[in-house]
Amino acid sequence: MKSTEDVNRVMDAYADMVRRICFVHLKNRHDTEDVFQNVYMKYLLYEGTFESMEHEKAWFARVTINACTDWLRALSRRKWVSLDALAEESTELDNPSKEVLETVLKLPEKYRDVIYLFYYEGYTAVEIARILGKKENTVYTWLSRAKDILRERLGGDWL
Amino acid sequence: MSSAQNKIQKSMENIKATEVMKQNTLRYLEARRVSQNRSASRQKPHAILQYAVAVICIFFLAGMGGYSVYRRPVSYISIDVNPSIELAVNRFDRVVSVTGYNADGHDILQHVPLKNISYLQAIDRLLQDAYYSRFLSRDSQLVVTVVSEHSDAMLEQIQANDSFQALDALTYSSDTACMKEAHQHEMSFGKYRAFLELAQYDDDITVEDCHGMSMGEIQNRIKTCQGHNGKNTTGGNPSKGHQNGHSKSHGHH
Repeated sequence: MKSTEDVNRVMDAYADMVRRICFVHLKNRHDTEDVFQNVYMKYLLYEGTFESMEHEKAWFARVTINACTDWLRALSRRKWVSLDALAEESTELDNPSKEVLETVLKLPEKYRDVIYLFYYEGYTAVEIARILGKKENTVYTWLSRAKDILRERLGGDWL
Repeated sequence: MSSAQNKIQKSMENIKATEVMKQNTLRYLEARRVSQNRSASRQKPHAILQYAVAVICIFFLAGMGGYSVYRRPVSYISIDVNPSIELAVNRFDRVVSVTGYNADGHDILQHVPLKNISYLQAIDRLLQDAYYSRFLSRDSQLVVTVVSEHSDAMLEQIQANDSFQALDALTYSSDTACMKEAHQHEMSFGKYRAFLELAQYDDDITVEDCHGMSMGEIQNRIKTCQGHNGKNTTGGNPSKGHQNGHSKSHGHH
């Protein structure tokens, strides 16, 4: 079991990332809080060690994505984020940013993951492939298709 | 940083874990940690208890198995004078049960404890016992009959007993078939063997007749019949066994 110090440290380091990954998958704050807690519970009970901070961060990203997928699968709920949830989060956003966010959230789940990890977290396709447990070529394909959709929906000058 | 990256990051920059969410999670994790520690500390005695129960079970089963082996007789000794008693002997040469086959036999067993000692000790104790000695008069005949895969070795050891030798006792070996027949007639297999031997010479003798006879009387009848037969035949060696082959002569000393 991880120490309290470790838990506090990873809370400071990855809470926002975990929250965002939850956001792109889950439809409301309640589900997000549950999955958020589940992710940190997995960390608390995780017996393994991390080779580096990057390794630790990638572990959190992978575990959060899997936790969201499992959560949705278990509840058999729709996998699209509701506009209510979006409204909760985007009150501070200006109109262009809100439009981008809405468009991203309307992407199929697998595209949302790669877009988030690629653009927001700055992971390479190779790293995303490792996190998602997919082939590198699959990630390239998803990224390409996701970009196409975003370009189509947000306009040609977006990318 | 590309334009797309910029836009995506900007769209999500306000999405952060709130302090409430973090604190709730930390409290939840701490509660779980305490709960885990408690259950772990509770599990220790449980684990010890489980090990203890497992060990007890193993010993119990081993004990039951061992006890079962201990209780299982593999040899039988019939000791007949007038009292008829049988000793059941386990593979460790210990007497595990004793049975009286007539009133005197029951009487003796009430006075002389023979269980849980070696059969040699049991026989010696019996022969040394004053109560039993009353039956070992000059006219009596002590007959020891053994049913065992190792009857020869057992009889050899019995015959080595000084008290036994002094009594001029007879020894025979028999088999389980004879023993079963004897028990069907509620008779010790030693006495039943003697009856079968007598029945070779005396067609009129019955098991019921033998029930009321001491071993000395049966042996005398056998000797008498053998004497008659010896005169009537060509002097063949009379067998102490019986016709059915349930027992064989072991000779007497």
